Amino acid sequence: MKEFVYDVFTRKERGDRLQHVGYVDAFDDETAKVYAWTTYDEEKWFEMCVVKRTNVLPVNRTDGLFVEAQKAAHV
Amino acid sequence: MSQFTDEELKQKVQAGYMVEGPEDMTEGYRKALRVQLTVQADTELMSAPSYWMAARHAPSTNTQVSAHAIIQDELAHANIAYRLLEDIGESKEHLVYGRQPHEFKHPYGFDQPLDNWAELVVATGFFDRAGITLLTDVHENTSYAPLKRALVKISMEETFHLRHGEVWMRRLAKAGGEARELVQRAVDWMFPMTIEWFGLPDDMKRHSGQLDYKLKGLTNDQLRQVWMSSTVPLCEELGLNAPAHWDDEKGEYVLDYPFPCQYDAVDKHWAFDEGEISWDAVFERWKGRGPMNEIYVESVQRSRMDVERWLAA
Repeated sequence: MKEFVYDVFTRKERGDRLQHVGYVDAFDDETAKVYAWTTYDEEKWFEMCVVKRTNVLPVNRTDGLFVEAQKAAHV
Repeated sequence: MSQFTDEELKQKVQAGYMVEGPEDMTEGYRKALRVQLTVQADTELMSAPSYWMAARHAPSTNTQVSAHAIIQDELAHANIAYRLLEDIGESKEHLVYGRQPHEFKHPYGFDQPLDNWAELVVATGFFDRAGITLLTDVHENTSYAPLKRALVKISMEETFHLRHGEVWMRRLAKAGGEARELVQRAVDWMFPMTIEWFGLPDDMKRHSGQLDYKLKGLTNDQLRQVWMSSTVPLCEELGLNAPAHWDDEKGEYVLDYPFPCQYDAVDKHWAFDEGEISWDAVFERWKGRGPMNEIYVESVQRSRMDVERWLAA
C-alpha cells in the first residue's frame, strides 16, 4: 500500500502559534485528514492542518527530514 | 551520518546538545535509539490487543467507551513510535507486519491474558504506571528531540489511562467481597510482573549506551523504585497486599519475595516458595514468550495481506 508522509500542525487556542505536533502516513489528502484527527486527539484543537511532506520546501538547511523528502520525491 | 565521533557525541549530548535526525547521529547512537524505540513501539502496539480482548468485560457502555479510548490512544502511540523509527531508516511495514510473534520486543506482561474487568483495570493501573515511569524519564532526559516532542501527547494520555485504572481499582477494592478478591488476585500476579518488566538489576546490567547517549536518565533499579513509590502506597491505601515495603534503614522500597523468580503462566502464579532463579532463566522464559503472544500478534497482522491483495487486483 503506497502511503505518503503528512506532517500535522495544530493550534490549541485562537491566537496560539500553529505548531508541528507529529505526522501520519496516508494514501491521500482525505485519509491524512482523518488519520491526523483521530491520532492527535489529545486536545480540542482550535485548528488542525496537514501538509504533505514533499510540499514542505526547506529554506536554510541542506540536511534533515524535509530535505530527504524532497530528494526522495524527485528521484 | 554524524560529523562527530561517538565520544564527541556522547560528550555533546551530556552537555545538552539535541539530536534532530540521522544526520546528527553516529551509528552507535542510531542503534541504541533503534532498540529503545522498538521496545516502546512494540509495547504500545501489543497493549492494544491485550486491552481490546479484555474490554469485552467492561460493565457498561461508559466503561466500554473509556476502555476503547485507551486502546485507541495506545495504537496512536505505537504508530508515532514506528514513524520515529522510519525516520531513522527502519521500515514500519516490516516492523508491524513482517515479523514473527516471538520477534516483537514488548515485555512479557503483554503476552498474558487479561481475564476479567479487575485484571484490565489493574493492568492499566500497574502497566501504564510502568509506561509513564519509563517514558517520563525519557521525556525529561532524552537527547533525541523528535521523541521528546512526541512524548508531550503520549504522557498526557497515559496519565488518563492510569487514572482510569486507579479509580476502578479503588472502586472494586472498596466494594469488598468478590470484587476485592479479584483485584487482589490481579495484584498478586501483576505486581511481580511489572517489577520484572524494568529488567536486569543495575549491578548486572550490560552496558547499553542508553545512559551515555542520554536516551534515558535513570537506571533500571531507580525506575523500579519510582514505580514502587507510587504503587506500594496505593495498594496500602486500598488495603491490598503488595509484596514490597518501605525500608527505613535502606531508604528505599524492598521486595518481600525472591527476585527474580519463576512464573507459571497457566495458573498466573509466581513461585515465591521455590526461591530465586537466575536472570538467564528469566530471559529464557521471556524468549519463549507468553500464552497470548501469537494470538495478539495475529490479531494485529491478520487482514493486512488480504486487503493488500484486494487493492492490487
